Parts: sequence; structure tokens; C-alpha cells
Amino acid sequence: MTQQPINEQEVPSSPTAKSKKIGLIIAFAVILALLGLLAWGLGKVQAGPRESGMAPDFTITGFDGRTVTLSELRGQVVIVNFWASWCPPCREEAAYLEETWRKYEGKGVVFIGVDWVDTEKEALAYIDEFDITYLNGPDIGTRAAQAYNIQGVPETFFVAKNGELRGVHIGPLASPQLDEKIEKLLAEQYP
Amino acid sequence: MLAEIGLISLTIAFIFSLYATFASVYGGWRGRLLWVESARNAALLVVPLLTIPVIVIVYSLYTFDFSLAYVYDVSSRAMSPFLRVAALWGGQQGSVLFWAWLMAAFVGIVLLRKWDRDRELMPYVIFVSMLTTTFFVGVVLFITNPFMRLWHIEGAAELTQALFQPLTSMPYLPEDGNGLNPLLRHFGMIGHPPTTYLGFTGFVIPFAFAMAALITGQSRRDEWILTTRRWTLFAWIFLSIGLILGGRWAYDVLGWGGFWGWDPVENAMLMPWLTGTAFLHSVMMTEKRGMMKKWNMALIILTYSLSLFGTFITRTGVISSVHAFAKTALGPAFFAFIGFTFLGSMTILYLRWDTLKSDHSLESFISREAAFVLQNMLFLAVTFAVFWGTVFPLISELVTGTKITVGPPYFQRVTGPLFFALVLLMGIAPLVAWRKQAARTLGKAIWFPFAASLGIAAIWGASHRMHPASIFGLWLVAFVLSAILAEFWKGVQARRTTRNENPFTALFNLIGRNHRRYGGYIIHLGVVLIATGVIGDAYFKQETQGTISQGEVLSVGGYQLEFRELLGYPGSDGRQIVEAVTSLSQDGPIIRELTPRRDYFVVQEQPVTVPGVYSTPGVDVYVMLIGWDDLGTSATFKIYVNSLINWVWIGGIVMILGTMIATWSNPARRETTYVLKPEVLTSQP
Repeated sequence: MTQQPINEQEVPSSPTAKSKKIGLIIAFAVILALLGLLAWGLGKVQAGPRESGMAPDFTITGFDGRTVTLSELRGQVVIVNFWASWCPPCREEAAYLEETWRKYEGKGVVFIGVDWVDTEKEALAYIDEFDITYLNGPDIGTRAAQAYNIQGVPETFFVAKNGELRGVHIGPLASPQLDEKIEKLLAEQYP
Repeated sequence: MLAEIGLISLTIAFIFSLYATFASVYGGWRGRLLWVESARNAALLVVPLLTIPVIVIVYSLYTFDFSLAYVYDVSSRAMSPFLRVAALWGGQQGSVLFWAWLMAAFVGIVLLRKWDRDRELMPYVIFVSMLTTTFFVGVVLFITNPFMRLWHIEGAAELTQALFQPLTSMPYLPEDGNGLNPLLRHFGMIGHPPTTYLGFTGFVIPFAFAMAALITGQSRRDEWILTTRRWTLFAWIFLSIGLILGGRWAYDVLGWGGFWGWDPVENAMLMPWLTGTAFLHSVMMTEKRGMMKKWNMALIILTYSLSLFGTFITRTGVISSVHAFAKTALGPAFFAFIGFTFLGSMTILYLRWDTLKSDHSLESFISREAAFVLQNMLFLAVTFAVFWGTVFPLISELVTGTKITVGPPYFQRVTGPLFFALVLLMGIAPLVAWRKQAARTLGKAIWFPFAASLGIAAIWGASHRMHPASIFGLWLVAFVLSAILAEFWKGVQARRTTRNENPFTALFNLIGRNHRRYGGYIIHLGVVLIATGVIGDAYFKQETQGTISQGEVLSVGGYQLEFRELLGYPGSDGRQIVEAVTSLSQDGPIIRELTPRRDYFVVQEQPVTVPGVYSTPGVDVYVMLIGWDDLGTSATFKIYVNSLINWVWIGGIVMILGTMIATWSNPARRETTYVLKPEVLTSQP
């Protein structure tokens, strides 16, 4: 960080002055770089998460090889859930998500699990552990996550039949939140 | 009416703190004592002036004055009285006010002390601390004002928040408020936020003294370190308590069976704690040997900046976190302030670099000094690792356009060995003498704890062969524990033989005569206990999950959970409770009836999982109700068997005890707070 704290007094003055200058330049450069980074991050955050308007389109290839594109699912209610195997709160909602999926499977509802910044082995173990049967795939290059400007995981986006976003839920879902939301979206008229 | 009084008082507080900031620096610069005195009085007045708005907000929360937007947000009729009071720090506006008030109170207490030899420092101590206070009061007044009212503008679909009545609007008084986020409706809400804030704000005092010492050139003498020692310990222990309470809270309400998730918000609090701990140790080097002066300055600047940084990232959401926080216009102001503080203090340090000459240099690598240097390096390495992991998503997104978040495995792998080395050092360093020591003498002091710990680890290892890494951990804990206990033993023995005291009197007097040293050992003891809990969490955690019908059993780690029935009933605070009645048995007899619940907060549409926990010193059985079928005939449970986890909390209590002993003022030696360094040197053999 700064200079070596010991043994300064024996060092003659001119090299000290020089190393002091270099150390100083490095210290200030690091601080400025850090501040720049924070400013950039702050600028992004001030924009806020997506909650309404058309849901950004994305294509995802599941761990099982199935591929799905959001824009091809018009007429169905789509639940997009961002999760990760390393995320404790995700585990809390996993069983409920799967249970709800089984309840609504084939009734005009599609679930898409987007696995965010994860490793495949752990992710597959997670899917296996909770016996998850809806489509789950890695968010390669975190493109979907960026399109939705997620703030963390778990985060669940609700897409109406006409492809519009109908809100986002930050944090784990629990009974009966998802059921209520789905019922509401299913009741919407389309086209 | 009350709200107006609060607002006016807040405004005056802002003006006074602004005045104190500039009057003090002017007085110090021109040598005008009257200005400094005046600044001091103004700073003292800020305390009662900020107390009024705090009281007004608490009163409004308590009496449901929902015309205030803040009260509407965080209070509700269903909330219990204590939660309504705690709602002061339950939302952005209230917590920043509370924060500003704590800071002003700290500054006030410091200004009331007897300023004797360090009188020259006072103007700049006032300047630095009041500058910070002004910033926070300014934020409360201009950005997150808790006195905003709700107004209904004709024809508008949504309510407007404003301090004063907008044109064509009607005051709006809601029937009931939203109430606190259900996750915050917990006992932890009373303890965790205030202790955390005390820790964060408390560091302003050593920071202000350090800056004042640099500005005046008094940094040649190291008195600021002696003066602020108790303040630093005070801030540090509250940060420690805040961390532990936060862990306990997470364990109780977040329902994933753990207490630390390496979330950015947790890391934000851990980082100043790490550098603060390094600082607490490195100041001893300056105090006893006149070394590491520059380092101390850098550390206190870092600690203070990191505590601001922590507040910044938790409040603005710059770094994604599983914690959700409201976003406000706080970000840019806070950013500017952090930049100013960090750059300003580094510049001052640079200008005064030459006043910070070491009195001695390192004499031997087997010495207390060397141990302290190593310890500081390790602490900084951990801090850097945590920092890197925390900001990595930002860096990766900037560089590659892809946000890469490093999960807990990164933190565990990188910091694990460093923490291991730190705990090991904690066992050895107190046995090493100042200046230099022959390896043989050190060996003499160490062999017994070493042998004892090997024995304990061997016995342990024989019965827990499946986790080889845990044996290392247990050996480490046993070693440090026996090294510390051996120190107490030696001290007690010495008193018994020389003074003929009985063991208890000897122990009591030993600690009483040298409360700093033995208080320190007791803090170390607490850390060892926490390490034990962490080892249990890392290696011995067992978990299972399953759906069972009434009368069926789910087992894990020698425990069996039988599901008996499912109950549903309305609870307090406007929640609907679904409770599973289960009985826990251990290979036969039932040991406890557990009732894990799912509380659904109707207004907020948010559920909270309340685990059923069977807790013993060795093991916690932690049962969560995850789901159930509509008829209540079957339910899904998740069970964690958490070994040794309770030692984390016990260790925390021991740390608090140790800190109280270490900071205890010895009436007979009260004078020593202000003596100059040479005398300190001679009084400490």
C-alpha cells in the first residue's frame, strides 16, 4: 500500500525522496482509479433496474440442450428466475419454484431458470438436489443479467402474455406469491 | 407542529456544525483562541439540537403520525412498541439522522474531556470531526429528510413527498403505514444497526486526532495514539459486536443455516474491522518502540475510508447484493465526500511524511515487533482479498463487459489460509519478547502448548477421520487456547509463590494489575472460540431436505425429525402463521418439540421463515419449514445440523468482556493517560 514502514532512518535522504515520490504517485493513482470505478458503478446504479416496458429478448440454451427464445413465447406467461448455486436465498425458493412449475405446467406458463455466474458442476448438483424440471441454462456472458440489469440473485421477472414486463421480485419467493402473480397474469387477455 | 420543531432544530444544527467547522479551522490557523472556544461551544450545541429531531421522529413513529412519509414507510399499527422505536434506523432517512446524531454525540463527548497537553490539537480535531458531522447533517437536511410529508396533488395518481405544501395539494393522512420490512422485525433489529453505527462513527475520533496531529505537526509526538486508544477500542468492539449480531440475525431469519455469506454488505463491514484490528496492534509498536508511525497513519486513514466506503456501497447498491436497499440521491453526495476525505487525508499525510520518523528499527526477526509487522501484513492481505472480491464484479464489467461475481468459494479459499496464519500468530506473538529473543527461549515458552495441542488434535482426529482438514483447524485452536491459558497459569503461579495468594485472588489481581495485557488475552480467547465455531461450520455441517407425511421421519446426523401436524393461525404484527409441529429425537427418545414456521406478512406480501432450533453447546439442529400441501398432511423440511456454531456467539461475548477489561480505567494510575512517551516506556518493562 504505502512504503515499507521499517528501517527508514538509515536510508539516505535523496533515494527516500525519490521513492517517496513514486510511492505517492502509485498511492494516488490507486485511489483515483478506485474512485473512478465507484463513479462509473454509481452512474449505472442510478439508472435503476428494469421493471416495465417490453421484456428484453434473450435466448438461452439449457443444461439439457433445449433452447428457448423469449420472444417466441408470446401468448404465454413467462417467469424468468435468476439464480446461482452459491446463493443461499436461492435455495430457499427452489422447492417452491419447482412445485409451482409442476402445478402450472402445460397451462400457458413457461418457467425459465437463468443460472447466473456459476459453475456447471455445482449448478447441475443444485438442479438435481431440488429435482428441477423446468428449463435451466447458464447465462453465458451474463447477457441476460445485464439486459435486465439485475441487482443480485435471486431475482424473478414476470413477463405477461404480450411480452411486457409486469414487475420484478427481488429476493426469494415463497408461497403464495408466485401463484398469485401467475393467476393475475393468466387472467390477462391476449391478443 | 412537532415535525416543524424537529425540522427547525435540524436546520439550526446544520448551521451550527457548519459554523463550528470553519470557526475552528480559522481559530487554529490564526491562533485565535476565542474562535476555537466558540467553535467548541457550537459543536457542543449540535448535540441537543440533533437530539430534538431524533426525539420527534421516535415520538412520531410511536404515535403513528402517518402524515410523515418516513413514518408511513417504516411504522404501522400492527407493530409492537419496541419495533416502532427501532424503526428510527429501519429506513434510509431515519438511519442517516441517527448516524449523524451518534457522530455529533461522540464529538461532543470528546470536546468535554479535559484538554491538557494536546490543546493544540483541538481546533483541528473539531475541524475534521465537525466537517464529517456537517456532511451527515447536510445529507439528512437536503437529501434524506425524514420530515417530508405526504401530499395529494389534485388529479395526480400518486402521492407527493415534500417538506412544504405544494400548490393545489391537500395534506394526506393515511390510515395505516407500510411498516418495517418483515425481515427487520426481529430482536436483532434492536442490537445490530446501532452497534454497527457506533462502530462506524466511532472511528471518526481516532481519525480526527490523527489528522489534527498531522496538520499541527504534533505527529512527531505520538500522544494522539495514547489519547485515542480507548476510542479506537470502543469503536472496534462495537464493530465486532455489530458483526456478530449481524451474523446471529442472519442465522435466525435468513434461514439458510449459516451466519456469514460473503455478501458485499457483510464484506463492507468486515473490511474496516480488519484494518481497525491491524491498527489496534500497530499502535502498540508506536507506543512501546516508536515504530510504524507512518503505517499507523495510513491504517487509520484506510480504516476510516473503508468505513465510509462500506456505508457507501450498502446505501447506494453500487455493488449487487442480496440485500435490497432503497436507492436515493445519496450516492453522488456520498461519493464526493469519500473522494474528498480519502484524497485530503492522503495529501496531508504526504505533506507531513517527514515528521513520522521511526525511533527504532527492527532488531530481530524473532521479536514482538517482527510479529506485529507480520500480523499487519496478514491483516492487510485479508482486507485486500476481501476488497478485490467485493469490487470484482465492477472491475470485470468495466474491463470485459461481463459482470463476474466471485462467490463464497473464492473468499473461503483465499482468506482461509490467511486467517489460519493469523490465529497461529495470535498464539505465538504474545510469547515473543520485544526487541529480540533467542529462538531457544521462545521454544521453551511454546513447547508445552504445542505438545498439549498435538495431543488434543490426535485424540480428536482419531474420532473424526473423515475430515482431515478439520484436524488442522482443531489443532490450531487447541494450540492457541493452551498458549493463552498457559500465560494465565504462569501469571497466577508467580503471584501464588511470591505473594502467597490463593489461585482466585491471584487471577483477579493478575488481571486487575495489568488489565490491558490480560484483557487482550481474553479478547484473543474470544477469537479462538469464534474460530472453533467457524471450523464447525466449515467442516461438520450436515444437511438434508425432504417431504414427509404426518407421522413420517426425516433423519440426518443421528437426529430424527417426526412431522406431527400443521397449524395455521393469525399472529401479531399482521402476519399469518403456518406452523409445523414436529418432534426431534436422537436415536430413540424425543428430546425436543420443534415448531418451524412460515410467517406471511399480509400487507407486505412477504414471507419470513422462522426456523425451529434445538441448541446445545456442541450442536444446533436447525429445522426450516419450506413447503406443505394444501391439506397439511405432508410438509417439506430442510434440516441443518450445525456443529459448534454456538461458540461463535459465546466467543463474541468473551471478546466484549476482554475489551471491557482492556479499556478499564485503573483509578490508581489514571494519570498515565497523559504522560509522555519516555515515561510510558519505563513503566512498561
